Order: sequence, then C-alpha cells, then structure tokens
Amino acid sequence: MAIAQGHVGHVSAPPATTVPAGLAGWLSTVDHKRIGIIYMLAAFVFFIIGGIEALLMRVQLGTPENTFLTPDFYNQLFTMHGTTMIFLAVMPMNVGLGNYVVPLMIGARDMAFPRLNAMSVWLFILGGLMLYFSFFAGGAPNVGWFAYAPLTQKPYSPTFGVDYWILGLLLTGVASIAGALNFIVTILNMRAPGLSLNRMPLFVWMQLIVGFILVFAFPALTVAQIELLFDRHFGTRFFVPSQGGDAVLWQHLFWFFGHPEVYILILPVMGIVSETLPTFSRKPIFGYAFVAFSGVAIGFLGFLVWAHHMFGVGLGPLANAFFAGASFLIAVPTGVKIFNWIATMYDGALSLTTSMLYSIGFIAMFIIGGLSGITLASPPVDLQQTDSYYVVAHLHYVLFGGSILGLFAGVFYWFPKVTGRMLDERLGKVQFWLMMISFNVTFFPMHIIGTDGMPRRIYTYESGMGWDLWNLVATVGAFLMAASVLLFLWNLMVSLRRGAPAGNDPWDAATLEWSVSSPPPPHNFDQIPVVHSRRPLWDHKYPEHAGDGHGASAPDPLVAGFEQPAIHLPSPTYHPLILGVGLTTLFFGILYSSIPPLSISLAVVGLALVAFAIVGWVRDSHKDSPYAAH
Amino acid sequence: MGTRHRPPVRRLLYAVLAFGALALAGCSTLPASTLDTYGDHARRIHELLVPIAWMALAVFLVVEGALIYTVLRYRRRAAGTMPRQVHGNTNVEIMWTIAPALIVVVVSVLTFRTQAANSQMPADALKIHAIGHQWWFEFRYPEQGIDGADLVTASDMYIPVGRPVTVQLEAADVMHNFWVPKLAGKTYMIPGKTNYLTFTAEQPGIYRAVCAEFCGEAHALMRFRVIALEPAEYDSWVAQHRVAPVIGGGGVLGGDPNRGKELFLNARKLCITCHVIEGTGAKGIIGPNLSYYGSRQTIAAGIMPYSPENLERWLKHGYEIKPGNLMSRVLTRDWIAANLTDQDIKDLVAYLDSMKVNVALPPAR
Repeated sequence: MAIAQGHVGHVSAPPATTVPAGLAGWLSTVDHKRIGIIYMLAAFVFFIIGGIEALLMRVQLGTPENTFLTPDFYNQLFTMHGTTMIFLAVMPMNVGLGNYVVPLMIGARDMAFPRLNAMSVWLFILGGLMLYFSFFAGGAPNVGWFAYAPLTQKPYSPTFGVDYWILGLLLTGVASIAGALNFIVTILNMRAPGLSLNRMPLFVWMQLIVGFILVFAFPALTVAQIELLFDRHFGTRFFVPSQGGDAVLWQHLFWFFGHPEVYILILPVMGIVSETLPTFSRKPIFGYAFVAFSGVAIGFLGFLVWAHHMFGVGLGPLANAFFAGASFLIAVPTGVKIFNWIATMYDGALSLTTSMLYSIGFIAMFIIGGLSGITLASPPVDLQQTDSYYVVAHLHYVLFGGSILGLFAGVFYWFPKVTGRMLDERLGKVQFWLMMISFNVTFFPMHIIGTDGMPRRIYTYESGMGWDLWNLVATVGAFLMAASVLLFLWNLMVSLRRGAPAGNDPWDAATLEWSVSSPPPPHNFDQIPVVHSRRPLWDHKYPEHAGDGHGASAPDPLVAGFEQPAIHLPSPTYHPLILGVGLTTLFFGILYSSIPPLSISLAVVGLALVAFAIVGWVRDSHKDSPYAAH
Repeated sequence: MGTRHRPPVRRLLYAVLAFGALALAGCSTLPASTLDTYGDHARRIHELLVPIAWMALAVFLVVEGALIYTVLRYRRRAAGTMPRQVHGNTNVEIMWTIAPALIVVVVSVLTFRTQAANSQMPADALKIHAIGHQWWFEFRYPEQGIDGADLVTASDMYIPVGRPVTVQLEAADVMHNFWVPKLAGKTYMIPGKTNYLTFTAEQPGIYRAVCAEFCGEAHALMRFRVIALEPAEYDSWVAQHRVAPVIGGGGVLGGDPNRGKELFLNARKLCITCHVIEGTGAKGIIGPNLSYYGSRQTIAAGIMPYSPENLERWLKHGYEIKPGNLMSRVLTRDWIAANLTDQDIKDLVAYLDSMKVNVALPPAR
C-alpha cells in the first residue's frame, strides 16, 4: 500500500475504525485498552483457579491426619497455587491495569509497541494454559514454586510436571520481558508535552521502576530454567551435586529473580494507592518526590537482599550479616511511603468509597506484613521462622493484604473508566469488610502455628501439637474469603449491566485518564494535552488550587498549546497471536524431546508458525500508514 | 469531634495486646514451640526475638493508630470541602526517614550479637554426622565407634546434656533441613555441601524434630527425636551401643525372635539388602541402621510411637502409612503376600523388638 503523505495539522474527527467485530476484534486487537482488559480477565480467572487450589489445601489441613487429598496431589496443589498467584494472577493483573491506564495517564494514544503488547498478552495466557495442561498430562509440577535442586532432577521428579513448569513459565517470561521493555519505552518516550518525569503520576512511576526490575531480574530465572531444562533433557549437570553441579547455585539464581519479584508484585500496587489516596482525600500526594524515590530505592535494594531467603543454607555469618543489613534497610523507604500516605489523608476531606477502603486496608495489612518481615530479615530468628507457617502468614500479609487488597482498590477505582459504569458501592463495602475480617481470620493464626513449630508444605500433621484449632480457624476463614470473592464476581456481573453511568470523572480525580470519556475512544485523546503540573485535570477544574505547591499556578493543560500530530493507530492483526501459538507449539516439541517423532513434528509446525507470523508482522507495519503523518 | 472517636482506637489497642499475650502464653508448652526453649541456640534466638517483637509492636501501635485516627478524624467533612493543598514537608519527611533507620540500627546490632554467639563452634564439641535421606534421618558418631568405624543409628539422635554438640549436616539425595525447634534454629542439609550447627541441650528431654525443607512426596512424614541425656546416662548409651546387639528376652506378639533373625538374614526376604544390624550378616546401607531397634522412640521416621503392634502394622501396610517410601516400593503389597506370612512378620517384629539398650529416658518436652 502506498504511503499516504497527507499532513494533517489539527485532527477534527477520529479515524474510521477498521476493528473487526466480536471475538475477531479481540483476538486481533493491538489496542492497549483491549489488551489490558484481556490481561485482567485472564488474571482474574487464574486468581479464581489459584484460590480453589488454596481452598482444597485448607480443607486438607483443616483437621490433623486428614486423608482428603493424597500427598502427591497436595504437593501439586501448593506448587500450582504459588506459581499461579505470582505469575498468572497478581503480575498480569498489575500489567493489565498498567496497560490500560498508563498510556491514558501520560497522554499517549497507545503503548510504544502495540503488536509486541498483543504478543505479550497471548504468550502470558498460552504459558498459563501450557502449565495447566500438565494436570492432564501425567501430573502437575510437584516441587514447589521455588523448585529447589536437586529435587527437580529426573530421578526425583520423573513426571513431565517440572518440564511444564519450566516451559510454561518461560513463555510467560518472554511475555514479561517484552512487556517490561514496552512499558519502559512507552513511559520514557511517549509522554505528552510538558509531562516531565517529575510530573508523572506515581502509578506510572511505579510501573516504570517495575519495568526496570523485570528486565534485570527475569533473565536470572530464565537462565536457571534453561539450565534445568538442559539437565533434564540433554544430560547437562548444572544442578546435580553428585556429578560436579551445584544445588545452591539454583537458589542464588532463583532468588536473585525471586526477591525482586516481590517488588514487581507490590510496587504497582503502591502506585495504585498513591493515586487513590490523594483522589479520595481531595489533596495532592504528600511528598511526591519521597514517594517516587523511595520506590526507586526499594527497586534498587531489592537486588541486594536475595540471600535472606537462604539464611539456613550455610553461606556463613559474614554473608548473612550483609544480606540481613540490606534487608533491614528496605524498612526505611517502605516506612517513608506509609508515613507519606497517612500524611496525604491527614487533614483531607476523606470519602470512604470502596476503593478508598481497600486502599486503607492495604496500608493497614501491609504494615503487619512489613513488621512480621523484620524477624525474617534477622538471620538468627529467621532460622526458627523460615520454612514454618510464620512465613506463610508473612508472605500473605504482603502479597494478599498488600498486593490483592491494593488491586481491589485499583479495580474499584478504574472500573468506571474501563466500562463506563460504576461498581455497586454497597456490595463493594460489604465485600470489603468480609474480606478484611476473613483475611485476618485465615492468615493471622498462621503466625501462631508457625511459632509453635508447624513447618510449611506438609500435607498432614499429627494431633497434639497445638496446631489443630488454629488450622481449623484458618480453613473457615479461607471459605469466608472465597465468599467475598464470589460477592465481587456478582458485583462485577450486575454492575456491568446495570451499574450507574460513570461519566468522565466520577471521583473528581486529578490525572489525565479522567479527562476523556468512559470508556475512552480508541485513540484516547482527540487532542493531546499539554501538561504543566502533576495534577493536570485538577488544575483545569480548580485553577484556584492549582500548581505543585511552588507558588505559581499553571496554565490550563487541556487547552492544546501546540500543533497536534495526526492520529496514528496500528491496524488489527492476528500475527502476534499466531507467533504465540507457534512458540507454544515449539515448546511442546521441546518438552516431549524423549519421543522424537512427536517432538520433531511439533517443533516443525511451531517453527513454521513462528516464521509465518514474523513475516506477516513485518508487513503489518505497512498497513498502519493511512493515518500516519510523521 | 476528634475526642469522640478515640475510645474505639484504645479498645482496639487493648484487644491487640490481650490477644498477643494470650497467643504467646498459649504456645509456651507445646511440643514444637520455638518459645519454649531447652537449648542455648534456640534460647538466644528467643532472647533476640523478644526485644524485636516489642519494638515491632510499638511501631505497629503508633502507625496503625495514626492511620485509624486519621481516617476516623477526617472521614466526615462536609461534601465539597476543599482541604488545604499541602504538597509535603521536607523536614518532617527527613525525620520519618531517619526514625526507621534508627530502629534498623538497633535491630542490626542485636542481630549481629546473637549471630556471633550462635555461630561459635568449640573445639571440644561432640561431633555427630546427620544425613538426610528421603525420608528419614541417619546419625553417625565418628568418635564413639569401635576401630575407627562410626557408631550408627537413625531417627533418634542421642546427645549429652550440657556439652556442646556440633552436628555436621549432609544429604544423601535431595535437600533436607534439620530442625529441633526447642534446641536450635534450622539448618539445611544439602547434597554436595557440608553445614555445621552447634548447640547445647540445657535440660534432659526428648525433643521433637522435623525435616523443614520440602523434599518430595513424604516430606510431611520425615521427623525425628533428639534425646538429651545426663552425661553419665549418655555414656552408658554409647557403651551399650558399642557392643553388637543380642537377642534378649522372649518374643512379643507371639513371635519367635530367633526365627525372626533367620528370616531377617535370609537374602530372599530382602531385609539385608538395605539394612545393617551390627554383628550380623545384615550389611545393606541404603536404609536405616536397625541395631537396637527395640529402643527406638518411633517407627518410620517419627510418624508413630514405637510399639510392636505399630511395627507389625508398618511392615504390613507401609505404603498406606507413608506413601512413596522406598521400602514399600520394593516390598509391595503383592510381594509381601507372596513372601511373608503373618507369622513371619510377627517373628520379625519379635526379633527387632528384642534388641534393646537399657537407659533411663528423660521426659518428652
């Protein structure tokens, strides 16, 4: 197709849509908003599945010496629960929200690489499906989400479960790294005029930091997984101690990824509440720079603390002391954030919407998770608490009380923007209180049984250890949590059909995404705004309260002050999806390397699909031209 | 307006304190509680935990209090109120950056002191090798055997009270973890790597212990006991163990110990493929050493109390009791049906039960 040279100075009407209707439109989409929705829906489905796995485990542990589950199935469940919640639920939920909101917040029309964005979402979903296929192919992985060597070697784990774990996660890993690069480039290059780093919404800041963490942390996991794959399939000995390999090497590689991963899960959520708290307090964030840079500090320190997961491994007192000191240090930027959030609310006009309640709940629970982590950072105490239920309590206060509650805050906050309808507030508040109570009923007792010596990852325990009552309480709590999630699901379905119309700006918020319609048009902004402060929409609405606190008030941001570029939207394409399917097929071929005919045919089909998709992908870019004008 | 909302905050505070006190008190005498210590290593950890816990509780009350106060105080402003647009306060922010840093320094100093104390390895400590297997613990005493051979046992680790013990930790297959909550913090047993853990039992007792690192299918059923004896009693245990066991006393369960011994040593019955009994032809090293089995505290790595009846049950239904265990993979239900009669099993039980060490056992803690 010939390249259109038509230069358009001002855009009067958005381009005619060429998006196919129905399912085809979703499968071929390159729109960051649709991709964000796919991410979030898939993540929610995996969240439900991971939750069901947790309920099954809680039933098994509700009474001592229970025989509800076999030990091997229990081991599969806790492996899949951890893997699912981390890689397939919380991470993609963060990515999905980011995908939807970040371009709108920075005044961009899309992500920097829309087709790569589509590839990421499909690889994430296909990787998750591949992992779950293991249940029907001889058993799911049963070595824990941390997969310590040498239990993962063939003699100890002869089923294909570990291979599905490696290859499924490699697919999601490709998706994560591509997604992270996409976020970094988008945030650094596609901000609206005037939107300097110093004016960026804090949610965008946190997504940027997470992008960098991902790019540095994920390769360590990928390398470890490929080495393990080679050990299992091609006779290498990376992690076989009896033949010169090193089992501890796996732990270093895994936790060099694994600890930053915690911040990958929590920082975007810290970004969410840094948006919701000011909005629902009708105040700016207290200490913008401290909140932003404490995020940077957490991201940086996150790479210096991995061995606090390994205090019992015997690295020696000196190494342990170093990692303990670095881990303690993280309390400082984390504390700063918490104090700044409370100060943001202080003297504000709080409106306790469901989103706000979840934000406050996040802070309240995250404080507990942070404090219970102090003893785990202290090597001597850690030796009593690690691998006990105390850690299970701690990590759920951080990742559920922290990440998941914060994500609920974000979902209640942005649902109106995404759908044009409000979630029901009354149902939401009932659900919030049910969740807060049941969460604590479930996880607080685990501090006690851990201190009373109950190890993690055991499918059964004997009576008379003092663990029976609290385990039963935790099981009851888990089912109440499930009821709360069901209530949310009900709210979601009811509100999608009958929710009150949202309007552009239902919360009287400050950032650019609320300046456009709900849901926003495909091209996001009719006119790219010019930004003069950290709260462009706020300054537009309340000029008398405008500015960043430095005296001078800023000009109205929503009045265009420069020549608008033409709208440039990429065309829908199936090639990212085909590439994902091809790569997945190839990975199945690698997985069945022990059955050459099957392996080779899968690999050939997979590679052919990948080649076809790449050629098509390259040609796709020419189709974008009609609206292009650079 | 503010004062009206304070009582609920205070009530919450009392509730938290009361709950914490109850929780701590409740744990103290439980079999595996880390707060009820009888060894110096675990005691020093507990002594470190207490001040950290109080500091954490103080921070918890201050920060959660500030949060709850702020929410209750400012939640009912008239709609449309425009609060003062405060963007920050650098002095205040620097202050609350330094405050946690100071607490961190205090916790670090306390931590490093305990670390130093708990990593001491006195030269005169008793040396014991502990080796983790899927799914049982082997204990070897290199200084107590005869003619350079180790004194070997399994599942019960005997130690003297009051003398430091340095346990050399190793693993035979996958990673395991050696944890005696009332005596010492846990330490990994890693194939290809040697770790050391030194502790002193301060009171005689039988202590619960487990593998704390996930190690495969029957990880939950990999336990052991540490039996701390007064030094004289411990010396007696060693002296008796240095002599090969002989059949003593009559048979239990109506079994014939002498016939049981014949069966045990019959290669076709497979016992000697994996097990050692000192002074006999049983020299298999894959499974636990069964010398003086009649004095074991538990069967199948700590999962049921030792009794002839439980031993009979174990020999008949091992797979159901401990799924995945190596012995049941070889001695399957069909193999047992074809090769061992009920009387054979009673005879084997009688033989194993007849080999006893005579020491006065301390109370279970």
